Amino acid sequence: MNLRFLPCVFFILLLVTACSQSSVYNKNETVFRVGDQPEWAAPDWNDQGWGKRIGLVTEGKMYWSRTKINILKAPESLHPYGIQLDVYGEYEVFWDGVLIGQNGNPGQEAILQPEGKMWASFSIPTHLTEEGEHLLAIRSSLYYFPDHYGIYGLKMDNYDDLLNDRLIESSYMHLFAGAFLIASFYFLFLFLSNKKEYATLIFSISCFLFFALILAEFMKAYVPIHYSLHVVRLQIIGTLMLGISFLIPFYFSMQFPFPKRKLLLTIYAGVLLFIFLSKPNHVFELTANNMALSMWLFSFGIVVFGVYKRMKGARLVLLTFLISVPIGFVTPFNKSLFAGFSLILLGMFYLLSLRIKEQRLAYENSLVQSTRLRLELLKKNIQPHFLMNTLTSLIDWVEESPKKGVLFIEALAKEFDLFNQVENQKLIPITQEIALCRTHLEIMEYRKEINYSWQEEGIDDKQKVPPAILHTLLENGITHSLPLKDNSIKFKLIYEANSHYRCYTFLTFAAVVERTTNNSEEGTGLKYIKARLTESYHSKWDLTSEPTNHGWKNTIKIYSKGT
Amino acid sequence: MNILIVEDESRIAKRIERMTRDIFGDALQSLTHISTLPEALVFIEKNSLDLVLLDLNLNGADGFDLLTTVVSESFHTIVISANKDQAIAAFEYGVLDFVPKPFNRDRLEQAFNRVSTKEKTENNKIKLLAIKKRGRIQLIPIEDVLYIKGAGVYTELFLADGKKELHDKSLEKLEQLLSPTFERIHKSYLVKISEVNGVIVESGSKYMAELKNGILIPIGRTKYKDIKAKWI
Repeated sequence: MNLRFLPCVFFILLLVTACSQSSVYNKNETVFRVGDQPEWAAPDWNDQGWGKRIGLVTEGKMYWSRTKINILKAPESLHPYGIQLDVYGEYEVFWDGVLIGQNGNPGQEAILQPEGKMWASFSIPTHLTEEGEHLLAIRSSLYYFPDHYGIYGLKMDNYDDLLNDRLIESSYMHLFAGAFLIASFYFLFLFLSNKKEYATLIFSISCFLFFALILAEFMKAYVPIHYSLHVVRLQIIGTLMLGISFLIPFYFSMQFPFPKRKLLLTIYAGVLLFIFLSKPNHVFELTANNMALSMWLFSFGIVVFGVYKRMKGARLVLLTFLISVPIGFVTPFNKSLFAGFSLILLGMFYLLSLRIKEQRLAYENSLVQSTRLRLELLKKNIQPHFLMNTLTSLIDWVEESPKKGVLFIEALAKEFDLFNQVENQKLIPITQEIALCRTHLEIMEYRKEINYSWQEEGIDDKQKVPPAILHTLLENGITHSLPLKDNSIKFKLIYEANSHYRCYTFLTFAAVVERTTNNSEEGTGLKYIKARLTESYHSKWDLTSEPTNHGWKNTIKIYSKGT
Repeated sequence: MNILIVEDESRIAKRIERMTRDIFGDALQSLTHISTLPEALVFIEKNSLDLVLLDLNLNGADGFDLLTTVVSESFHTIVISANKDQAIAAFEYGVLDFVPKPFNRDRLEQAFNRVSTKEKTENNKIKLLAIKKRGRIQLIPIEDVLYIKGAGVYTELFLADGKKELHDKSLEKLEQLLSPTFERIHKSYLVKISEVNGVIVESGSKYMAELKNGILIPIGRTKYKDIKAKWI
């Protein structure tokens, strides 16, 4: 079980090491000014009058930003520093007045095609990275998002590391995503082979959405995304989050069913949609955060309910939920999201494996049970009480009245033949079952010398029943009955059907023997009938057995829908 | 001979009846057929019988209930049953014979011979003796019985714990069932051989068997030679 968490532990370690690097610089506040003058790139330009905020920078107008950066440690030789920027717009980058790079065509956005990318890295000449204060100036235009001025992310490090770290991080995450993609396919195929198991489908979709989420989040490392398309990416991430945030509690609600499930799920879906659509101040991270939090809280509630009800697997899943909390506090949002999600998905995976194991066991049991029932059916004709008594009577008939003896043998042969025909079937036509009963009566008439009669009412020839269940009732009826005064015993089978159920009523008209002791033989007979009914109709049946003033009454009800 | 047939299969009952009449001939005084358990119990209580032929599966009821009752009675019981696997248990309860179905006249006659010739079972299978005590049947393990004393038509069972119980069967019938574990050392005594410590010769050529617990039981003069040959 512990092994299942190993990948997670690795992942967490990776995150922790990634976050704990010491910085080689510190950054002062950025100031802005609308306009465009080449001198603004100079490190010694007086930017006293510049503002920390400017209004909208509409129609692709130019604006500049200036940021003072203190380099704490000069780079090692041959390892120049670089700077990584997360900035909206198309821009040129100046370092200490020197142009070190260009991202798109600032000022010409309205005329030219969009060019450049959201995340760009620029190498800084070594001679400009001595210890001390330096100036980063950006000449920029913001045609598509006039209010998104400013620097959203800035990172300075060895230029090679800047490039490599992101690729390494994203390659790890893609490996991770690949695992979920495979899981998604695997469980999809599992679902396709057994379409009743919606939990596997939900899990498959969750895994796929998670795969897509990782891709959408980390593709920025290698796919150049123009800033005008960035919102599209965020919307995709938000939608994926919405899906996952709904499916995970939905999945748990299937595994740990709770009262008023539909109502609560609908309310929850409403809450999620509200969060998704309201988009507080267009801060996508906040939306995602709120959805993740709602997902966590609702799922946690379900799992706690599962633990309370002592449902299988609930404790371990609860543990994964609890572990995901400290991860959420320790790591930055986008990382904790993935760590937390993957933990929860592992919990779901664990549950699914439990269910699959249960199903396999149930299936194996059903196979064993079917074999057992088949043997029991076969045994009916060779169990000594039937066979030896029959043979003894038969010998007597042959000795005393050979012609009748032959008829007796023929009846016996017919019953054996009928048993052979139905022996390996789970359901047989009712007509065959009735034929079995009639032959049995014929045999018993020779043995017991009682006038047995058989009546039917409303039999639907198209119906099927498990083999030998009526035959077993008949056997019980014969065993536990004494003939009426005219030396007769009558059996009657009545069939009724409506939209809710089909019902066989089996009546015995006889003097019933008082059942003084607990009766093991009848017990096994009824057990056989119950097992056969369960095999074919699961729990959708009812069997009653009771004395009446004319003898005995059995009813077998088979329901059309679940009870 | 007064015989009761307890059998719920009419054809088989007729067969037994026919053969029994044939075998016993004039020696048969009465022959009754009953097909249910309660009726059989009532009949046994009210009538004096010499032999009961019993089927163990009556209308699905457990025949061992009836069996414990009949074996506690004074008459012998022969079980005629389809279930051979009940044979061992039946012998443990002390039936004289077990005739498996299907049977023929020879097999039935062989069983009847045991009754009329007082042939010993020699099977050593009996484990229990059923006694009637305060209207209930109590089963006494054979291993608890030390010796048995004839008392008219009844017998007295002397047990290892010093208690004494009455049994309805005669000493002859018990001898038939309990041989060879028990030996008839006197016309009134049946002793478990494994309990005998030795033989004491008293004055007047009286022979006594000494049991492990010190009890002395007389040995019949006529039996002494046989016993001496067997034991010494």
